[in-house]
Amino acid sequence: MKKSIRTGMVASVAVAGLMLSSCGFGGGDSGGEEEGSTSLDLLVPSYSDGSRALWEGVIEEFEAANEDISINLQVESWENLESVLNTQIQAGEAPDIYNGGAFSAFATEGLLYTAEEIASPETIADFQESFAANEQVDGTQYALPLLASARALFYNEDLFEEAGVDGPPTTWDELYDAAAAITETGTPGYGMPLGSEEAQGEALIWMAGNGGGFGDESEITVNTPENLEAAEFMKRMIDDGLTQADPGATQRTPMINVFIQGQIGMVYGLPQTVGQIEAENPELNYGLANIPTASGEPATLGVADRLMSFKNDGDKAEAVTAFMDFFFAPENYVEWVSTEGFLPTTISGAEEMSGDETLAPFLEMLPSAVFYPTSNPAWNATDGAFKSLFGQLGQGMEPAEVLEQIQAEADEAAE
Amino acid sequence: MSAQPVLANPAASPGRKRRRQNSDGLPAALPWIGPVLLLIFAIVIFPAGFMIYNSTREISQSGIDQGSAGFANFADVFTDPNLPRVLLNTVVWVVVVVSLTVLISLALAQFLNKPFPGRTLVRMAVVVPWAASVVMTTTVFYYGLDSNYGIMNAFLVDIGILDSPYGFTKNVIPALGLAIIVAVFVSIPFTAYTLLAGLQAVPEDALEAAKMDGAGRFRTYFSIVLPQLRGALAVAVLINIINVFNNLPILRIITGSIPGYQADTLMTYIFKVLQFDRRVDIASALSVLNFAIVIVIVAAYVKIVKPMKEL
Repeated sequence: MKKSIRTGMVASVAVAGLMLSSCGFGGGDSGGEEEGSTSLDLLVPSYSDGSRALWEGVIEEFEAANEDISINLQVESWENLESVLNTQIQAGEAPDIYNGGAFSAFATEGLLYTAEEIASPETIADFQESFAANEQVDGTQYALPLLASARALFYNEDLFEEAGVDGPPTTWDELYDAAAAITETGTPGYGMPLGSEEAQGEALIWMAGNGGGFGDESEITVNTPENLEAAEFMKRMIDDGLTQADPGATQRTPMINVFIQGQIGMVYGLPQTVGQIEAENPELNYGLANIPTASGEPATLGVADRLMSFKNDGDKAEAVTAFMDFFFAPENYVEWVSTEGFLPTTISGAEEMSGDETLAPFLEMLPSAVFYPTSNPAWNATDGAFKSLFGQLGQGMEPAEVLEQIQAEADEAAE
Repeated sequence: MSAQPVLANPAASPGRKRRRQNSDGLPAALPWIGPVLLLIFAIVIFPAGFMIYNSTREISQSGIDQGSAGFANFADVFTDPNLPRVLLNTVVWVVVVVSLTVLISLALAQFLNKPFPGRTLVRMAVVVPWAASVVMTTTVFYYGLDSNYGIMNAFLVDIGILDSPYGFTKNVIPALGLAIIVAVFVSIPFTAYTLLAGLQAVPEDALEAAKMDGAGRFRTYFSIVLPQLRGALAVAVLINIINVFNNLPILRIITGSIPGYQADTLMTYIFKVLQFDRRVDIASALSVLNFAIVIVIVAAYVKIVKPMKEL
């Protein structure tokens, strides 16, 4: 059926081309090509309930402007995204454009176009330098940074007042005391989601708060003294009952919903948590603050997701370039990134969005953000190991043993 | 379909003669059975063969074949420190679910075999868990027992059994226990109906004769009814073993959010290796192991219980 649609499309485009040329419209140089339409598969995760509609809007406008290119959109949940992608790669049907996180393993295996092949020099030059640098493997840029995000502390002001806590904590000790005071009142003080959804995120927020991290492009370092201290502090919070029940098996999204209902004292949230609260429980009396750290020095988890393009049979680089240039133009990009509630990665985008107040606390924290070592080929495996193993911290396992297990998986993948 | 051999066995010697005729007719029969053979090849033999092939390859995380790995994947699997726990869980899971299912179904079938007002309705009701999607049934239990939203949890707190909501699906033992309950719940309809069919085939005169000879209820059941149920029981047990052993959805939903591998059976472990570690090669090797275990269980079962032997 797909084939017949495609044939039909080719036919109609060819007819349209004939009509155009016979009428004497030379038009755009791509519009009159004999091969007719190119179709691009676009695989994206769902960032919010509105993700699909937002992409559909972009695609509609793009297709209107580029009649010879059609785009097939596929939206998947974050939990399924990478399994879907892997299945597609194995079947030789990798998406032409993929919006995801880790990419270095694909780059080193030669599956990706380089950034230069899929975007014009103007588009590439518009990315902020720190983000563009994050997209390189061995000095070559492969992916285009799509969005940035940072975490901040969301705290429930009513619960703070009830528990007699003055202001948001800035250090771990203050966080511990605040969580203890809130827990006394019968509501969990701190929400710690260590389930498979995003265990690596919660882990890195804490470890970055102690000067730790997951390593760099050449080495994954999970089992370090700084990280261990952070994990031990997390375990202390869990053992002392200052978190919600069963943190090891708690997924982030449902837990943030519980915070929005006003049932948890503090959680680490995303820029779009602000919009979510506004939509679902505007009554919630909450505040935003920097992530508390061991010493009080600011540090947070930064995430940059990216667009990349898989090479398939047939050269589609030109069509992909058309899409990328269209998408990253400020008039399209800013609307997309601000509707999703993320921070922009382009210079022109940042200029346009600098006036946005809800994003201000996050933009402020971005310089002190620690990123995942996504350019390390072993990161995929480390990420998986965090998702399946880190939650054991909440099930009574010793922090040292948990980190050791994760490090072992990372080392095995690095071999 | 597994009932076939039980029925096909009588009259072995005339069968031999017929078989010769069949072999003469093979070329003639081929066009008729050809499509089925093709289908079996495409959906059974080829995937199984490909799985075995993959288990001897080295496959990158993005799914690219990087050459032969010999038996290295199997060496990895057998030295995997998680394997003993996973196998233990699998054994407990299969044995408990299948025994509970069969015991409850035996009682239920006996009950459904007796005439009573409204029997048709009750028989229909028993089919419901079978007719409903397993994923749906399991999800109902999963959300019902969620510690934040679950109405079953709220109910248990309201009637005072629990002081505060408990994460049934977030701790190893209760989650496995819950998964077992759900698995028994969805396995009962098929098993009960298979046994009910068996019960209805027990000849009235044998029961009457037992009564005449003064056998009590228990004596009648264990000496007359149960031996007659042998064929039906054999089918029910065998199919349940295979089904339960290979069950993914129930465990995946109920124990899926538990970190580590303490609550995994072989099936969910394969799934995690595939989803989180993205090791198609190791997952294939584990699947071959899985496949081998099922074959051994079935062979041992057939050998020991001899379900095909004539009474």
